[in-house]
Amino acid sequence: MKKIWLLAASALALAACSEEASGEGETFPTEPIEIVAPASPGGGWDLTARSLQKVLEDNELVEEDITVTNKPGGGGEVGWQYLSEQDAHTLAVNSSLLITNNLLGTSELTYEDFTPLATLATEWQSVAVPADSEIDDVEELMQKIKDDPSAVKIGVGPALGNDDHLSFVQAAREFGVDPKKLNFLVYEGGGDVLTALLGGHVDAVTTSLSEVKDQHLAGDVKIIAISSPERLPDIEDVPTYVEQGIPVEFPHWRGVMGPPDMTEEEIAYWDEKIGALVETEQWAKLLENNDWDSFYKDSAETAEFFAEQTELYEGLVEDSGLGQ
Amino acid sequence: MDAFLEGLLTSLQPINIFWIIVGGFLGTIVGMLPGLGPATAVAVLIPVTFGMDATSALILMAAIYYGAMYGGSRSSILLNTPGDGSAIAATFDGYPMAQRGLAGQAMALSAVASFIGGIIATIGFIALAAPLSSFALKFGPAEYFLLMLLTLSAIISLSVGRMVKGLIAMSLGLLLSTIGIDTQTGVYRFTFGIPHLSEGLDFLIVIIGIYAVGEVLFNYLNIDEEKKEKKKVGKIWFTKDQWKRSKWPILRSGPLGFIIGVLPGAGGSIASMLSYTTEKQISRKPDEFGKGAPEGLAAPESANNAASVGALIPLLTMGIPGSGTTAVMLGALIMLGIRPGPLLFENDPGMVWTLINSMFIGNIALIIINILLVGLLVKILDTPAKVLYPIIVMLAFIGTYTLGYSTIDFFFLLIFGYFGLLLKILDFPIAPLILAIIVGGDMEQNFRMSLAASNGGFGIFFGSTIAVVLVVLTVLSLFYPLIIKSFKKLRGAGPAAD
Repeated sequence: MKKIWLLAASALALAACSEEASGEGETFPTEPIEIVAPASPGGGWDLTARSLQKVLEDNELVEEDITVTNKPGGGGEVGWQYLSEQDAHTLAVNSSLLITNNLLGTSELTYEDFTPLATLATEWQSVAVPADSEIDDVEELMQKIKDDPSAVKIGVGPALGNDDHLSFVQAAREFGVDPKKLNFLVYEGGGDVLTALLGGHVDAVTTSLSEVKDQHLAGDVKIIAISSPERLPDIEDVPTYVEQGIPVEFPHWRGVMGPPDMTEEEIAYWDEKIGALVETEQWAKLLENNDWDSFYKDSAETAEFFAEQTELYEGLVEDSGLGQ
Repeated sequence: MDAFLEGLLTSLQPINIFWIIVGGFLGTIVGMLPGLGPATAVAVLIPVTFGMDATSALILMAAIYYGAMYGGSRSSILLNTPGDGSAIAATFDGYPMAQRGLAGQAMALSAVASFIGGIIATIGFIALAAPLSSFALKFGPAEYFLLMLLTLSAIISLSVGRMVKGLIAMSLGLLLSTIGIDTQTGVYRFTFGIPHLSEGLDFLIVIIGIYAVGEVLFNYLNIDEEKKEKKKVGKIWFTKDQWKRSKWPILRSGPLGFIIGVLPGAGGSIASMLSYTTEKQISRKPDEFGKGAPEGLAAPESANNAASVGALIPLLTMGIPGSGTTAVMLGALIMLGIRPGPLLFENDPGMVWTLINSMFIGNIALIIINILLVGLLVKILDTPAKVLYPIIVMLAFIGTYTLGYSTIDFFFLLIFGYFGLLLKILDFPIAPLILAIIVGGDMEQNFRMSLAASNGGFGIFFGSTIAVVLVVLTVLSLFYPLIIKSFKKLRGAGPAAD
């Protein structure tokens, strides 16, 4: 039933688009759409790009062919450089690295060099300790760090300056710990961080919730805080930061953007299409499989959101001692 | 037991048998081609697996993975161009065998070795998955550093007679491995402002460059001489004597490779290299290693296939990808709503048992496929050089492109091609260089993490039983040749005539 409604809606949308543009001849899009995943196949960005492609095609939201191109390198830099030289038929997946790369001094690009189209989904950050740890909540952990920062080894990966790292920096700052003194061990990736925690090689880890959720359910690790505004289903026993007196709400979002200087008409087209996409059952299912939460914001809201996030990250990068 | 039988029945369903064969065949092919590996093949198939039943998708991806281990040695044996890090050890004795006209025998032997290694590992999977995954957790940064140090020292011991050259090659490899972002500090090293270099040099580009392009260039220099000698292919089944020599090395290397495979991040390259050096050191005929000793080919082949099965253990029991391929598999499975991890065995035992049974069937299918292919593949040796070499170069470029989807890599491919040519002309051993690039980055990071964890104390490198064992093995692997020599001297000339 929902599908039929969607089809009708998208057909209407198409009709609306073509009416608007009929004066100018051809309607956008006139060529196949390319979605750039600025990473290798199999990673989070790649899966986001392919999910977009799949849902847009299966629900016949976009008539043109859609391809996914992988342009890995430089934490998104290679793919986004490429996007900045394309026309409106190319989109790219993004995340907070779009903002932090510049703050960390590894990229000249900022979000203002692109056209924000939508924020799609988010994961939440978590802090976990070994199952047999004497630490039971985030306050105890922070107090321990405050007493002797070098005694608490915190696992993080794959690079300092990412959301895993900065969310913990924010929490530490709010608790009154100097983030520069935190003793981070930087692992290659989320999997290695988890291995280190399970093997007791670190005292705590800060990572995406999905990396540790199953281990928490199986009783192998203990999640002591999540960065969501409210407790989450499946793990109702885990309190949020806010509940524990640390005012931190930290999404790890993913979105999609276009090249600079897109026209109003092109932006409206994607607002329409992506607005319809996030309502599909298939999208909901993909979010659930990935342990992502819907975090939809349209183009205007996303632009505003980026401005806020930039301000937040600026402070965090500076406090963490990574600033340039 | 019920779950086991149920899994067997599910994996015997025609559709699953179909996927096992498709995956095994595809894996063999991508394994053979330089640069195209199982990780790329699985990644390319992700859109296809979207529409599949999750169990079938898992079976297909696993079959590609171990299928590639069968295929990987083909090009090592025939052309001296390994397709992946785990196939490098197969060039040491496989290629000399082919040069002596034993290509068919070498391929048949390596298929059988892979088969036995795979079966040993699958049985190991059933019996030891749980205890081994907790063993793997005991490996902290210090233990990983020592394991990698052991691998490098074992490689150096291979270059007896040209030790200085081996050390120079390894140092060059370690230098190259420092390119890219330094994870402990986030500093970019030697990237010269090229964003593409921020994740470092892909070791596969170095392998393809030095081995495939370098080999072609080297042969191009000698192309006129080559025309005169006509290589004979010989029989395609190995002799009783070859089997007798290989039997025990295969049986020893299977378990060794399996255990190393279980360690996240160690993988087939380290497994095959350690099994090769172990066999050489305990062999009574170490002088024949590197000149076409059948056991020198069989041992690493058994080990790397066993390692690919072992690598599935951390993925399925803990949700930790232990290699590039399993990382891509994890992504694909998550898309299908399967989250490998501690709950998988509880929530979905049927799927796990089906996978295990599919590995038995898959290995049987693969040995048949690979032995049937021997007759076809040996024809590659009859192909005129001017046809064969351009094809290899083309494949090298395609393989390189699939690694980073960037044409910048072509420059690196060519640079390393010429570099490889230079190394061959100057008679430098290549394996130490490649292994150093493969493990160098991780080795450095683990070393620094160990020291960060111990606040600078070196005691951490002797802090656990595993660490001490690894230190002892490292020292042994360096001085074993010397010890043996002095031992023989003590006992007189008797055993030396052996």
